[in-house]
Amino acid sequence: MDRAQIVHENFLTRVANRDFPLGPAPQPGLGKVDAVSLFRSQVLSRALDRASRTMQKEGKGFYTIGSSGHEGMAAVAHALRPTDIAFLHYRDAAFQIARSEQVPGQQIAWDMLLSFACSSDDPTSGGRHKVLGSKALTIPPQTSTIASHLPKAVGAAYALGAARRNDPEHRELPKDGIAMCSFGDASANHSTAQGSINTAGWTSVQSTPLPLLFVCEDNGIGISVKTPNGWIQASMQHRPGIKYFQANGLDIFETYAVTKEAADYVRSRRKPAFLHLTTVRLYGHAGADVPTTYLSKSEVEADEANDPLLHSVRLLDQAGALSPEKALKIYTDTCARTDRIAAEAASRPHLTTAREVMASLIPPSRPCKPTNGPDAKARAAAFGGDLRAMDDPQPMSRLINWALTDLMLEYSEIVCMGEDVGRKGGVYGVTQKLQQRFGADRVIDTLLDEQSILGLAIGMGHNGFVPIPEIQFLAYLHNAEDQIRGEAATLPFFSNGQFTNPMVVRIAGLGYQKGFGGHFHNDNSLAVLRDIPGVIIACPSSGADAARMLRESVRLAREEQRVVVFLEPIALYPMRDLHAAQDGGWMTPYPSPDQRIALGEVGVHGDGTDMAIVTYGNGHYLSHQALPDLQAAGLKTRIIDMRWLAPLPADALLSATEGCKHVLIVDECRRTGSQSEGLMTFFCEERARVPIARVVAEDSFIATGPAYAAPLPSKEDIVAAALNLTGGGK
Amino acid sequence: MTRTAVVICPGRGTYNKPELGYLHRNHANRMDLFHSFDAIRAEHGQDAITDLDGAQRYSVGRYSRGDVASALIYAASLADAQALAGDIEVVAVTGNSMGWYSALAVAGALSAEAGFRVVNTMGTLMQTHLIGGQVVYPFVGADWRNDPTRKAAILAEVARINELPDHVLALSIDLGGMLVLAGNDAGLSAFEATNPVVQDRFPLRLQNHAAFHTYLQASVAAEGQAALERAEFAQPDRPLIDGRGKIWWPGATDARALKEYTLGHQVTEPYDFTRAVQTAARKFAADLFIVTGPGTTLSGAVAQSLVLANWHGMADKAAFQSRQDDQPLLVAMGREDQRALAID
Repeated sequence: MDRAQIVHENFLTRVANRDFPLGPAPQPGLGKVDAVSLFRSQVLSRALDRASRTMQKEGKGFYTIGSSGHEGMAAVAHALRPTDIAFLHYRDAAFQIARSEQVPGQQIAWDMLLSFACSSDDPTSGGRHKVLGSKALTIPPQTSTIASHLPKAVGAAYALGAARRNDPEHRELPKDGIAMCSFGDASANHSTAQGSINTAGWTSVQSTPLPLLFVCEDNGIGISVKTPNGWIQASMQHRPGIKYFQANGLDIFETYAVTKEAADYVRSRRKPAFLHLTTVRLYGHAGADVPTTYLSKSEVEADEANDPLLHSVRLLDQAGALSPEKALKIYTDTCARTDRIAAEAASRPHLTTAREVMASLIPPSRPCKPTNGPDAKARAAAFGGDLRAMDDPQPMSRLINWALTDLMLEYSEIVCMGEDVGRKGGVYGVTQKLQQRFGADRVIDTLLDEQSILGLAIGMGHNGFVPIPEIQFLAYLHNAEDQIRGEAATLPFFSNGQFTNPMVVRIAGLGYQKGFGGHFHNDNSLAVLRDIPGVIIACPSSGADAARMLRESVRLAREEQRVVVFLEPIALYPMRDLHAAQDGGWMTPYPSPDQRIALGEVGVHGDGTDMAIVTYGNGHYLSHQALPDLQAAGLKTRIIDMRWLAPLPADALLSATEGCKHVLIVDECRRTGSQSEGLMTFFCEERARVPIARVVAEDSFIATGPAYAAPLPSKEDIVAAALNLTGGGK
Repeated sequence: MTRTAVVICPGRGTYNKPELGYLHRNHANRMDLFHSFDAIRAEHGQDAITDLDGAQRYSVGRYSRGDVASALIYAASLADAQALAGDIEVVAVTGNSMGWYSALAVAGALSAEAGFRVVNTMGTLMQTHLIGGQVVYPFVGADWRNDPTRKAAILAEVARINELPDHVLALSIDLGGMLVLAGNDAGLSAFEATNPVVQDRFPLRLQNHAAFHTYLQASVAAEGQAALERAEFAQPDRPLIDGRGKIWWPGATDARALKEYTLGHQVTEPYDFTRAVQTAARKFAADLFIVTGPGTTLSGAVAQSLVLANWHGMADKAAFQSRQDDQPLLVAMGREDQRALAID
């Protein structure tokens, strides 16, 4: 028989017979009325698990990972406030249900059943996904990759403290709130979880406020792999900076009392705590998982005998709060009620078209208070002697620094964070003096963990900040890429645009550093970013463009709530000359702070029609170097700097290449997976009769030393490819 | 087989000329209950509801008064709820505005007499002070199709008027496809002057109604709390849905909080009847929505609330009527033809 049915019948029989699992008497703290309310939430959670399985069998439901065994989370919710932002484990239906009882007017059973049915009426995801989540309940929707929500929980906790010191215009969370995140014992082993817990401790021991409650729901098994006995306690109870609490998650009285104590500690001390909650897992991992294939029957039955609902009935009876008869009636009434609601929810409409599914990839705009730009006095104080240098041509690194300064002067909600961005001012000096100008609160030296850097940014974005995290080198993004791909980019999608985490991720990258660094400091692959729906990729190639594009990127984040990746070509940071030493050909003056380059606007240099070179970043620089040779060959050439790599600026590219007889794509990234592939496809589809060729990097890693540029496009490659494409010019 | 039902108790304005004699006609066997209410009114020198109900003549001036109408409506609602057929399982109870007091008694959170004391006290206080008034205005057309843009525009107009010097105007009740607005005379008059007449009768000023569910009633709330200090609220026997859509569950209700809501927030903040009905639908999915008597006017708001929620896929009045003809979803006990569906 189906284990869910066995658990159900066990409950009915054992309650009727007053045959309860043993356990300690109810602890004081939880009132009778509240205890009954929690039991109701637990029962509804169980009834929803059962309904989800029925719906799936009938082809009307699409998700069966349940919360059975973890219903003690109702008591955790009760010990917190509904405004405490909660990043939930997927077994936490009872938490969400209990929290809904704290906010008048919720229709939680209906909402969750709509989610099971993937109906477009689902108020959380709009029918895109089964998620726990609710804007009204301060639960951002979360779907797994495993433990990927922990870095942003750390970030959100940090943001709670930061907002006390620097209140952002779009602050979402109350100043006395805390953050909470929950996860399973198996997830606790994930490097993402370990990194987050480490970051929380690292932050805490430095007395930086971090009001975060980790809740580990330890059911002793991850799908089929058992957690060693005592593992969670042994590995978590002595973490520096994090206070450890433990409770029996089968006992709502104990769970409430311990969680209350832990939450009070976190709230009053503004420090992280780790709540270790022991639970059982009933029915296996999900609907299709049969636990008896990897556990003995006796092990399965032992967990079933410890059904937390049976414990609750015993405890409520012992507390004098509810008789077993009334508890049984609540159970049967709730199951019947849930079945009735499920039948109706299953009739609600679904998304049908790609357009409908994609409607929330891009979040809605939000109104922002207008500003008059950075104040002149404040600029003078911040820039000092730099003000006089602004009319003179400068290299890109300095202009980015100035643009950051102006933006941070204008918008107090901008916060920069990254490795070495503060005291050192960045490994290339791009963030020099920013910490002096704006304080350690707004220019944060983080620990060495990219997942934590991006998690900090996501969490701060949740609370109204406009974070500008820095990834020191493009190659360092890859260990943390899921924080953008699986988390930041998906949040509007899964929340139907209700939750957002706007940011501008600055990444120093690409090749051509002369002999320095080798592959990991010259990585030239953007493939990992190119295909993420909704993410904007900006890549400037000159200082003036960088300043103006950075301003647009901040506008996109601040007003349109977008996630922008701002890729800064390292080799162009210090670039001064174009054709010859001391010619200063690649430096530009600082554009005035009101100037921006709009998203999708490409740079067009020249008006030749023999050939259009479409390029970006270092390719743009090299193409300009090649221009005299092309002109000498009689090729009337225009150079188009894409500037915005994603989304592809299609209209602008078509307009910019109008009338050109040939198109040459110059892409410093690899032959495989680079932007050139998309451009080749694009021009083949849109300009089928125009001959097209590309100059790209080889499918190789980058060497250290003299061969640093060997696999990369060169000026000579561009000239040769152009002549080849056009038949040799004149 | 039982029929699951949500019971909905009507508010003020439902005991009119056709309802004169409602108690005697429908509940001759519950005179003891009504006499117990008469005794409470006698303590305050008020006319007996059995006399009022049994009178030969109806007059608006007399029967629309808060101290009269509230008592009669409460008595009729409670008696109707008690008369429901044996195969009806009441899975939740809610009410509109003053009907909240009736709902409290129907759900068992107040005894019949305690509930009567609450409703009589509050109705009398409302009449004694009669602060401000109410006006009704629809935001849906005759087809009942949802028009959130129109609703937002009306509420924006309300906010604009409320900002004018000496004008008070606010949302009082979200009532299906209608908005009940409340304010002082300047606010109400300004609204009436600037909004076109629709459906021949709106904006409709409600006689003898005060600016219920607004801050203007703060003093009434305070007096009510003092007068009803000893009113004993208890655990409801049945789930009770309030004017925010919050459910007060049996066994899980903080009786003190319920009393505070009833005599506080409920009196001075907007009452979202639409949300209450929609919560009833979505959280209980009952077979029937039974609107107790007296009167029939609340049925439209219930049906509109369901249409606005697209309940059973109904998107307009025609869809509702089709469903109703096919398999009645809504039973108005104040209508003789439907009453039979709800009683033995």
